[in-house]
Amino acid sequence: MTRPFGALRAGLAALLLILALPAVARAQDSVIVIDPDAPPSDTLELGGPPPEVVEELIAFYNDSTTTRVEGDITLPEGSRFVGRLAVYRGTLRIGGRVDGPIAVANGTLHLLPGAEVRGDILVIGGRLIRAPVTHHSGRERVYWDAAPVMKNEDGLLAIRERRRRIGDLAAARTSFQTGKVRTTLLLTTGGTYNRIEGLPIVFGPTFDLRTGQRSSLKLDLRGILRTAGGDTRLADFGYEAKGEFRYDRFGISGQVYSQLGPIEDHPLSLSEIGWASFLLQRDYRDYFDRRGYGGTLWAQATRSLRLEVSRRRDEERSVRATDPWSLFRNSSTWRPNPPIDDGHYITTGAQVDFDTRNERYLPSTGWLLRARFEHSSTGDVTPVDLPELVRPPVPLGRRYEFSRLLLDFRRYTRITPYLRVNGRLRADGWVDGDRLSVQRRVSMGGPDILPGYDFRTFDCAPPDFEDPAETALCDRVISAQVEVRTRVALNLGFRVGDRESGGSRFIGIEEADLVLLSDAGKGWLAGSGPGQVPVNRIPSFDEWKVDVGLGLDAGEIGAYIAKGISEGESVKFLVRLQRRF
Amino acid sequence: MAVLLLLALLAVAIPGESRAQTGNSVRLEVRLTPDTAVRGARAPVVRSENLLGDGRWLSTLRSGLPVRLHYRIEVWRSRNGWMDQLTRQVYWDVVLRHEPLLDEYTMLTIFGSRVQERRYATLDALTAALAFAYQINVSPAQQGNYYYSSTLEVSTLSDDDLEELERFLDGGTTRRGDGGLSDAMGRGATRFLLRLAGLPSLRLEARTGRFSIR
Repeated sequence: MTRPFGALRAGLAALLLILALPAVARAQDSVIVIDPDAPPSDTLELGGPPPEVVEELIAFYNDSTTTRVEGDITLPEGSRFVGRLAVYRGTLRIGGRVDGPIAVANGTLHLLPGAEVRGDILVIGGRLIRAPVTHHSGRERVYWDAAPVMKNEDGLLAIRERRRRIGDLAAARTSFQTGKVRTTLLLTTGGTYNRIEGLPIVFGPTFDLRTGQRSSLKLDLRGILRTAGGDTRLADFGYEAKGEFRYDRFGISGQVYSQLGPIEDHPLSLSEIGWASFLLQRDYRDYFDRRGYGGTLWAQATRSLRLEVSRRRDEERSVRATDPWSLFRNSSTWRPNPPIDDGHYITTGAQVDFDTRNERYLPSTGWLLRARFEHSSTGDVTPVDLPELVRPPVPLGRRYEFSRLLLDFRRYTRITPYLRVNGRLRADGWVDGDRLSVQRRVSMGGPDILPGYDFRTFDCAPPDFEDPAETALCDRVISAQVEVRTRVALNLGFRVGDRESGGSRFIGIEEADLVLLSDAGKGWLAGSGPGQVPVNRIPSFDEWKVDVGLGLDAGEIGAYIAKGISEGESVKFLVRLQRRF
Repeated sequence: MAVLLLLALLAVAIPGESRAQTGNSVRLEVRLTPDTAVRGARAPVVRSENLLGDGRWLSTLRSGLPVRLHYRIEVWRSRNGWMDQLTRQVYWDVVLRHEPLLDEYTMLTIFGSRVQERRYATLDALTAALAFAYQINVSPAQQGNYYYSSTLEVSTLSDDDLEELERFLDGGTTRRGDGGLSDAMGRGATRFLLRLAGLPSLRLEARTGRFSIR
């Protein structure tokens, strides 16, 4: 009796060798041993049977003395076949006796009870399945990996060149290699939908050059076609050109751009903004036109620690909302886009990220600590007229300059195998110099940070300040969020039969996190005026607005209800397309 | 109305272990190697079962959509009276794709920077290859009580994922979510739409019992 999967063991050994993993592969209990501490080897290895074995298979099949069969064939019990037998693309079932060698290309060899084979067996691209009582005398080689062969017009086998690798599928995106340069041509949406641009269409080439084992050069050229039309003060075309050089853990990049910038980037993610706008005609962001150039220098000091400094010069201009189409509420009007303090700004920034999360999008443990400091100045500002309570008059005769600090601390913790607790503390706003420009101001309330309150409930606008744009006018905001999560089976959907597979397909959401949440936050104007908070003080916690809520988060979509408990707020219902934080 | 809707959702939610661990769905199993080490160290052995027995995944593959299996094993230190501590984690990916013109299945195994591509001509061979278990040598060394938590995310790949994978295979250094213009609207919403269209996405979790390092 020969040992099953003898050749398979060799194939697996090759797999494991390539993966730098010590291998243990047994037929009865096949286990791949992974040693994460093995030295890394930056390799892409195409597996498969050894070339010489494939050539042997082809020679066997093409031999004029071989009996060739394509498709399934069964040699029943009591039958006898003498000679060389080859099967291509089918299952060979043997219940009788075969006197001679057998080769199977991209098919399965099934030895039925009582089968007897006197000759070598070679199977490439399939398995050898053996019933309990069979007999085989001869060499046995089995490779599960597909044989890279094809049948030509003469009915003979020939080597087939490898086709495209996995990953070569991308709609409206194609890549090709010219020498050392890899070029990717892209045509896609801009990743959002908004009341200024409508649906931006992004197109252009990306050039990648791997200059060394640890270095690479990338040039990204993007044109942006804006589809909204109307009088937005925004050109129909924008652009972004970015070049970046990376060496090991360091990088330097420079870019020129003419693009739409967000005034606040936290109310919702860019994708959620897009869907809310497209579906419900609710655009939760404000925008301005930004044209300029800049550069960034960064270092990935450790696996968790990233440092970045940047400097850019922008021309920042107000843009107007237009009236792009939306699926629902199309007849209602969009919220106006607020004017900003137009001017040419020079902004210098420094950012530190400390990220120990175990996963970027669905972390269950770890820290994310982010601090960003920005200093901006301009000599030609055209300020928006704001109430003096919100901002003292912008200085004339000298540069208008200010500094802003963002702190975003998050902690993800697993308390027990079934329970996770996440927390976040966030502060953003003015820290030094003149008061912030309109496009750097902040607000509180809305689906992201305080979902129990309406969008920009706390925008720091004086009571008598009429502003249909609901402009964010606060100098500073601070917020704390905590949530408790546990996994539950949801089974929200239905199951339908699948004729092709004979199984069933579930349409809907099977599992989700049950989330209990509470948030607290405060937005304020810094100063000594009425209703303002001294510049050197953070409001005490009893001044913060608090909400509580619960929801179900299925990862790609979550539904929540939340209610502010500080005021007589109604219950809010919201849908998120990603984790809250 | 909104409250009623959420309450309805909650009403059908059943707290407890993953429902997908039952029935004929995909299962994730993680067990400990035998207790033979002197200090009690035991490694996790992870195995996914019945992936292709669940008709939707096979149907997805045959529809031309790649399927990604993202495995992760976490080593947790259990501390009575205080929150558990993650001491280490390891993850790897397996990407499956059916090439209809060749009637072949491609299986790409990605572990760190190491990549292996294999092709199978028959579903039977692919099924057998997927049935392998992975023993991960991540046994803790410090004294204490530990357990392993394993997750398996099975999903279809979006175009962005494919592009990212392609860049990775080409030796590119871009990381997921580096913030390209096409990054935002795509990933979450695409998967959401794929799911609503009946194309699956699944996350399974399994844990071992506790063991002690002496």
